[in-house]
Amino acid sequence: MINSSSAKQISDVVWEIPPSAKPGMRVPARIYATKELLAGMDNGVFEQVTNVASLPGIMRYSYAMADAHWGYGFPIGGVAAFDLETGVISPGGIGFDVNCGMRLIRTNLTFDEVKPRVKDLVDLLFRLVPAGVGVKGFLKVNQSQFEEIMKYGVKWCVENDLGWPDDVSHVEEGGYIKGADPTKVSRQASSRGISQLGTLGSGNHYLEIQVVDPSRYFDTKLGKAFGIEREDQVLVMIHCGSRGFGHQIGSDYLRIFDGAMRKYNIEVRDRELACAPFSSKEGGDYYGAMVCAANMAFTNRQVIVHRVRDAFGQVFHKEPEAMDMHLIYDVCHNIAKVEKHSYEGKNVEALVHRKGATRSFGPGHPDIPAPYRKVGQPVIIGGSMETGSYLLIGTQKAMEETFGSTAHGSGRTMSRTAAKRNIRGDVLQRQMQERGIYVKAATMDGLAEEAGVAYKDISQVVETMDRAGISKKVVALRPIGNIKG
Amino acid sequence: MSVDMNRASKDGVRFRLRAIKSFEWGGAQPMVVPYEFLPDVALADIAFEANSRTLNGLFQSCAIALTEVMVDRKTLKPRSRKEISLSSETLDTLLYDFLTEMIIMKDVISFLAKRVTVRVDPTRPSLKCELGGETISRSRHKLRNDVKAVTMHMFGIKKTPEGWATTVVLDI
Repeated sequence: MINSSSAKQISDVVWEIPPSAKPGMRVPARIYATKELLAGMDNGVFEQVTNVASLPGIMRYSYAMADAHWGYGFPIGGVAAFDLETGVISPGGIGFDVNCGMRLIRTNLTFDEVKPRVKDLVDLLFRLVPAGVGVKGFLKVNQSQFEEIMKYGVKWCVENDLGWPDDVSHVEEGGYIKGADPTKVSRQASSRGISQLGTLGSGNHYLEIQVVDPSRYFDTKLGKAFGIEREDQVLVMIHCGSRGFGHQIGSDYLRIFDGAMRKYNIEVRDRELACAPFSSKEGGDYYGAMVCAANMAFTNRQVIVHRVRDAFGQVFHKEPEAMDMHLIYDVCHNIAKVEKHSYEGKNVEALVHRKGATRSFGPGHPDIPAPYRKVGQPVIIGGSMETGSYLLIGTQKAMEETFGSTAHGSGRTMSRTAAKRNIRGDVLQRQMQERGIYVKAATMDGLAEEAGVAYKDISQVVETMDRAGISKKVVALRPIGNIKG
Repeated sequence: MSVDMNRASKDGVRFRLRAIKSFEWGGAQPMVVPYEFLPDVALADIAFEANSRTLNGLFQSCAIALTEVMVDRKTLKPRSRKEISLSSETLDTLLYDFLTEMIIMKDVISFLAKRVTVRVDPTRPSLKCELGGETISRSRHKLRNDVKAVTMHMFGIKKTPEGWATTVVLDI
């Protein structure tokens, strides 16, 4: 039985499980955690990170970040890079919510200006951005437009007046990932997705109005590089993904891969680890479809931002441009992408799976937008709606150690059923309001499930990654208004 | 047992009692618990175990449990009828496809089912299903979680001495 005691300490916050720990492991597993976080991780993390280490073509290590917890197949907080020729692609290494991610926009408004209008703003946003079960999105497109969205994501939005020109470059991969193939998307996936553009979803997805926490503004120079000029500045964070579109693509290919593994003689320890060689027809088809979902998710977050700008304009009677509502950045945290990395002294292309993990590219990387290239990529880490979130920055060390990857959030410690048993949504809503967080939720049960106590301490997660040098802290952001699906 | 039930009235046991009460047995005795939510299987998601003497009953229990995750079924009315016809490679994939089809109906036509009648033909394997339900209304329905997908985690139909059983883990 593999558990936390199977991990040997390598340095301050890095632990390793050697390939000898489990038959079939091709590389060691690496876990980023303090002693306390390691002890608190469920055994599933250790089982799963070592299962992933057994997959064909895996490069260097199977990683679990500080926020790791049990997931389907791969742990959440898992990172694994695969050789393009000998390696695999796995829907379980991406998650059903393809390109679930974070987006942060700034304003030049201060806390004092926004505070008296938070309720109006949240109420209006709740009306403008549909959330919850079975809601339809506000963006109506036909099938051919939807296929353009699958291919061109945020670029399509800007060309159709749903964004500002510089939005495109401030999204990971320049607003859309190349290689989308709409012919590999099922009819069911398209019909689920086409009506959901501009919806927040439910579960842990949110739209949040935040303010800089002046006591935890760690690096003002870096903050200024991202346009965070003041200690009382208001920002908006969005957490959502590809909605039913990505979910259906995940379901479709999980079924296809379940059969394909027999064809390619791949044996896995868990049905959710279903995978196919990246170079196979099935692997290529899934990549083409998955990229469509990723680009739809970028679009979904983009059109939501368009509405956010509109809502701020209505409430504050100013043009969004006058409020400097630029996109700071948009990151994926459920994705697999072909990226260039340095590996065993050579520059190679690898298929990097990040499941509940964020890209963390260091200074000088050509994929970082020009205004940030000197300092590094903004890394957005979303916390629970009570405890706040963080803006970090990518590092060269992440390039060297983790294929340019870091953690993504806080990670649950309490099940949804248990949270509902212990917490009442309406009571929590009142308590949060007393603490200065105005929250509006599609359902009270959903609100209870997302209470701060159901999550790990995000500060510990962020601190661990900072100590490891994989991403560095810039600023903590405190919620003042929240919309939950 | 009664003391435990009172104490745990807000967890899976509550669902168990409600399930027995609301399920249509067509004259059979409710000796088998149709479904029960499992709080400790999937931290970020929702899992349930379903049991039935018959395959038809098992598929119905799964459909009802899935719907209960999305909505309080008491707030639904069987205003309109929908049908699902499916065939698949195995019984397992038939159940996976069937539940996925119900999730697709939730997203595409905003339909949630109060009543479910399933006829499974295990020899093909295939099924025909009649659903009685209605279009989602945020004002009339007590909505819960937006289910993303059925996962393959622990998935599979098992033959038991009492009949049939399965565990379903839903991604939320």
